[in-house]
Amino acid sequence: MSLVLLANTCSHLQNASKARLGLTSIPSTSLHLRLALALQNAGFLSTVVRGGQAPPPPHLLLNHPTPNNEAAEIEPVTQENVASRRLWLGMKYWNSEPVIEKMQMVSKPTRRIWMDTEGLSTLVLGRQSGYVKGLRRPGECLFVTTDKGVMEARECVEKKIGGMLLCRVY
Amino acid sequence: MFRPYTEKEKAKLAEKYTPAQRAVIDVGEEAVTNKHLAYQASARQNHWSLKYYDDLSKIDPVVDHPVRAPYSNTDPNLRLKTDDDLDEDLANFIRNLPENEDSPEADEAWTEFDKKLRLTVGKEEGERNPRSAAAPDLFRPGEANLDGKILRLPSTESKGRTEEAPPALLRLMQMTGFTREQIIALRVKSIVDHRVVNQTRLGKIGKMYYLSVAGNGNGLLGIGEGKSEEPGEARLQSQYRAIRNMQPILRYEGRTIFGDVKGKVSATELELYARPPGFGLRCQQYIWEICKCAGIADLAARVTRSRNPMNTVKATVEALLSQKDPEEIARARGKKMVDVRKVYYAGLV
Repeated sequence: MSLVLLANTCSHLQNASKARLGLTSIPSTSLHLRLALALQNAGFLSTVVRGGQAPPPPHLLLNHPTPNNEAAEIEPVTQENVASRRLWLGMKYWNSEPVIEKMQMVSKPTRRIWMDTEGLSTLVLGRQSGYVKGLRRPGECLFVTTDKGVMEARECVEKKIGGMLLCRVY
Repeated sequence: MFRPYTEKEKAKLAEKYTPAQRAVIDVGEEAVTNKHLAYQASARQNHWSLKYYDDLSKIDPVVDHPVRAPYSNTDPNLRLKTDDDLDEDLANFIRNLPENEDSPEADEAWTEFDKKLRLTVGKEEGERNPRSAAAPDLFRPGEANLDGKILRLPSTESKGRTEEAPPALLRLMQMTGFTREQIIALRVKSIVDHRVVNQTRLGKIGKMYYLSVAGNGNGLLGIGEGKSEEPGEARLQSQYRAIRNMQPILRYEGRTIFGDVKGKVSATELELYARPPGFGLRCQQYIWEICKCAGIADLAARVTRSRNPMNTVKATVEALLSQKDPEEIARARGKKMVDVRKVYYAGLV
């Protein structure tokens, strides 16, 4: 599980927001997929669709790619095409402002940070825990990869599970 | 073309309008012709005409002015009745009793009185159908007693003393719509001043520079710069510009900011931190003055890198303006947001 790709993804999503892109793609890995779904769950992304090098065709009615598009079924991942698969993410904007303003890594490829529930709850309350700054901006989210999947720090505290800190988004 | 007013109608009109207003009304009514009325009565044909039929002269209670159920039963002014109030109630009951005290009517009156007796003064539903204390109601902006906590923009009407105002002030009043009294009531401070010099081939031309900050202490804030050979003039210029530049800033509970914000102007970088009630303003002088003008009471700040006074002031204003409204963030993400503090204190924070 390389974090270098994730760091690239964070920068890429920031850049895509600044460029006001409606749809963008990131390399398809299981970590990326889980993080993208967590981002979508938190309302940062509108759609997450697995596709190839070209963007998947838009849904007839919704006008953007969807995972359950009956007109264009998603190609199943096979050993032949796995390297060319990409995740196509729908970016969100509100009042001419991107919803993802900033997306930064907390763990780094050379220094991963794990945290237990106690530490996470301190962060969620807006206080510093270890070397990690608390969530002090309105709407700031921290995504954590746990053995129950990638989830938001607040959800981790609720479920009393710790994990490795991935990135903070606001 | 209208039927002339009868004497009775004229007398009624005189109650409501001054003679001057009456004269204007008469002239106006005379100017209306059949053609105008016909044009008014027909549907509009131009670009802005409605795409559907609607009689706009009538108010539809459903579409135009929906009558909603009261937002909450809670009455902020509810209070328990005193002994005197209760005595008064009982006295009223006895006074209204039927003459024959043993009659069934008297019994009925007593049951009625017993059933309807209220123990509090205020909104009746507030007592009869209260919300649970564990989950109190939220108030609407006007409902709770939050005097001075709601941002009130100045009214645009100006009255009196406009003639005597100096031209610069008069122009400011016209530009901002504030009256002279409102401008006097603003908090305006010149916080940076120094002499600046322009070197020309004829020699040095010195001027005074002023940086002022203005605010109403209730969410409006602006800064202005002024430069002139005369210090007084430069100062006034900067202060009027500050008043002109005033714009609303976001404040959490009318006392602090929404989360931590950063500002950067040139090499000056600073961070403003939201703080709990009663914390006070723990920051340097320039930021302190700005917070006082804007009506921020709880805040901490750290100026990293350069501490140039002019840039500090500008960066602070930039940081305060860069705040994001959590409601907007929630809407952008399609989430529902509840301020837990507001719920806990029933909107009274």
